[in-house]
Amino acid sequence: MLEAFSSGFWQVIAWPAFGYLLIGIGIGFWVGLLPGIGGLATLALMLPFSYTIKTPIEAFCFLLGMLAVTGTTGDLTSILFGIPGESSSAALILDGYPMSKKGEAGRALGAAIMSSLLGAVIGALSLAISIPIMRPLVLLFGSPELFILTIMGITFIGTLAGASLIKGLLAGGVGLMLAAIGVDPQTGSLRYTFGMLYLWDGLDVTPVVVGLFAIPEIVDLAVRGTSISEAPKEKLKGVMEGVKDTFRHFWLVVRCSLIGVYFGVLPVLGANVAQWIAYAHAAAGLKDRKRAGKGAVEGVLGPGAANNSTRGGDLIPTIAFGIPGSASMALLLGALLIVGLQPGPEMLTSRLDVTFAMVWILIISNIIVAGFCFLILNHLAALTFIRGSLLIPFLVVLVFIGSFTANNSVYDLIVTLVFGALGYFMVLNGWPRPPLILGLILGKIGENYLWISTAAYGARWLLFPSVITLIILTVIVVAYPTIKERRGKAKYDRPEDAI
Amino acid sequence: MPNNFRSVNACAGFRQILTLASRLSPLIFFLFLTLAPAFGQTPFYQGKTITIIVGTKAGDVYDLYPRLMAEYLPKYIPGSPNVIIQNMPGAASVIAANHVYNVTKPDGLTIGAIYPALYFDQLSKKPEIRFDWSKFNYIGSPIVSNHLMYMRTDTPFKTIEDVRTAKTPPKCGSNGTSSTGYYMPKLLEETIGTKFDIVVGYQSGGDVDLAVERGEVQCRAFTITAYFAREPFISWRKRGFVRVLFQTGNKKDERLNDVPTIYELMDKYKTNESGRRLSTVILAAGDFGRPLVFAPAVPADRVKMFRDAFDKIMKDPAYLAEAEKRKLDIDPIRGSEMQTLAKEVVSVTPDVVERMKKLMEPGN
Repeated sequence: MLEAFSSGFWQVIAWPAFGYLLIGIGIGFWVGLLPGIGGLATLALMLPFSYTIKTPIEAFCFLLGMLAVTGTTGDLTSILFGIPGESSSAALILDGYPMSKKGEAGRALGAAIMSSLLGAVIGALSLAISIPIMRPLVLLFGSPELFILTIMGITFIGTLAGASLIKGLLAGGVGLMLAAIGVDPQTGSLRYTFGMLYLWDGLDVTPVVVGLFAIPEIVDLAVRGTSISEAPKEKLKGVMEGVKDTFRHFWLVVRCSLIGVYFGVLPVLGANVAQWIAYAHAAAGLKDRKRAGKGAVEGVLGPGAANNSTRGGDLIPTIAFGIPGSASMALLLGALLIVGLQPGPEMLTSRLDVTFAMVWILIISNIIVAGFCFLILNHLAALTFIRGSLLIPFLVVLVFIGSFTANNSVYDLIVTLVFGALGYFMVLNGWPRPPLILGLILGKIGENYLWISTAAYGARWLLFPSVITLIILTVIVVAYPTIKERRGKAKYDRPEDAI
Repeated sequence: MPNNFRSVNACAGFRQILTLASRLSPLIFFLFLTLAPAFGQTPFYQGKTITIIVGTKAGDVYDLYPRLMAEYLPKYIPGSPNVIIQNMPGAASVIAANHVYNVTKPDGLTIGAIYPALYFDQLSKKPEIRFDWSKFNYIGSPIVSNHLMYMRTDTPFKTIEDVRTAKTPPKCGSNGTSSTGYYMPKLLEETIGTKFDIVVGYQSGGDVDLAVERGEVQCRAFTITAYFAREPFISWRKRGFVRVLFQTGNKKDERLNDVPTIYELMDKYKTNESGRRLSTVILAAGDFGRPLVFAPAVPADRVKMFRDAFDKIMKDPAYLAEAEKRKLDIDPIRGSEMQTLAKEVVSVTPDVVERMKKLMEPGN
């Protein structure tokens, strides 16, 4: 095993594999920065280029290297402009963008990159450690357990609600209702589609997230008539402060990374959900909960770590069973077949070196991109001091390109505009936006698992020991912040305390 | 001096060309004779761009086949046009099908790459369907899909007969009511009276396979090619984890010689005429494979040009080698055959349509 571990390393840093890794990182870097254009779409476009690559490890250096860094650079756009660079980076906006507004962009970026790096390393190590127990780990959770986990995720709406629990619950409810749009997966009947084919597949999360978060910030920037940062330039040198923050809250970062890993392992869930859960976990842990959504660095560290560590988790079912854990893994699986490697049990025995090479690719690519980011971070942070009127046209173009790439449909733009208007209304009136997104993402998943559980087990699944344990855990998770709050007697009564 | 040298060289070069030309003149004359009709007028496609509108996102298997095709079409279409891919995902490729049928100019510059079972929606008269399946001009499909059903070996269901007589039916997993995982077991229920509990709602075929491994469900119907090409099935077959209960092709797959076809089962259980017609309509989706289509009004000569090009590409060794490398199975069906089949499937009798609607839409 040790032999495979080191062999994997040497194969990754050998030429030309390392060259492919650098190209992959270069592409992933830009793709991550640009909103909407996600790692998945780029992977699909780059796949044909990998056909010419000879060995599995070289192909993986190119593709996985690219995918691994999109999570990191996506965080940067979220923090700098309040526009999600990847849909898995949206949670970074909540505290990252307010930090930019306070003139602490450097610190936020430093924290995001360092936590991303730690998250990636923890994700990669979890992948390495779990090799002997991979198969039982994946099989542990069936549909009933996944359903309860989804419910637990939905209860985080309470934590994400900020000032007003009622408004949070209502926004979450709207999200759940929006999740019902589309072809019903159980009976094939159409729900809320109003005769529009675009709505058959339900709302795509990307244009909704981009509209809900980016448009209100752009409007706000235009109304304020200043640069993004409202504070003078002195605090720019905060990058190292952000790095230190990561180690000040080391265990938070570790916990959030582990959340990311496990959501990566579970089918369907993944970075899109993990970031919000990690954010909620980080926000719930704040001593002064008023700071949440106002530029608390913990709110950057949590999702920053989680959306990178999911990559490691994602790979686990792909390797153990040859069954992809996410859409991007499905594409990687295709690439593996082409270079002549059958993913599956073989990768835990005779081709263990390839599995370890993946671990190394995740680690090395993140170290390289983090190093490069630190070099240019101050220049990036300087963007937040540019006059808004110069920045806005550029941001608007980015936003609409980003949402258009979801389905190449003009309706994507309409969805972005509609949710942009809704988002602006919500911000003005102190309604929290994260619960809506969480409801939208989890609603569909939850519905599916509920149906599958009932179809497969009747009502018996409610009495499974694992299900009961998870229900108890959920109750604890829900009750804990309330109890803590009662003790701390924290009070929020002004709408502007909302996220 | 150098100038002289150059002119001498140039002269020698010119003479060489002349000699070469005189030697090759019979060949040039022959080429002129054969190609003259083509040069008589500029080929329509010269300098033009053909767009293949793919009804799925980039990277989907339905996208990989047309992408490979796009690389080889210029070689076989006179005028070597550019070929580009445009992804128009959504509504199981109905958006792309509607677009190609109604919006694009019927000038032979736009090809649709759509799902094979869209005529189900047409037959059940969904208002969103704005095409007539039989009026598309079919260019061909690089593959026809046959299906099978696997069942875990630790269940009591060793044959279809066991399923028919079982008190508790086996649970089959499926990712949606329009997937084969759903309508294959349903078809068996309708035609030979087996009973399956179908658990719908998994996100992908892979999720169903994981659920089978966990024991949540026991069976799944899907394509034969995937069963022999991919994990987890390779390991499963090795350790005898699953067995195959039936297959759908007209003739048996050579790797599944001891597995009955659905036609043999229908003979055995004396399926009536209406049931057989139902199965013809539903199983035809497999024959449409991954169809490439033109809009109805595209001129017949251009349709023919593409059908011929398609047939030649299917025999091009370079194409076949590349497909092999990309793990895309090739087992083509010609456009003309698909055209006939399309007419057949949309002209079924109302009672068959009723049965099909019942089968496809449990909610309605």
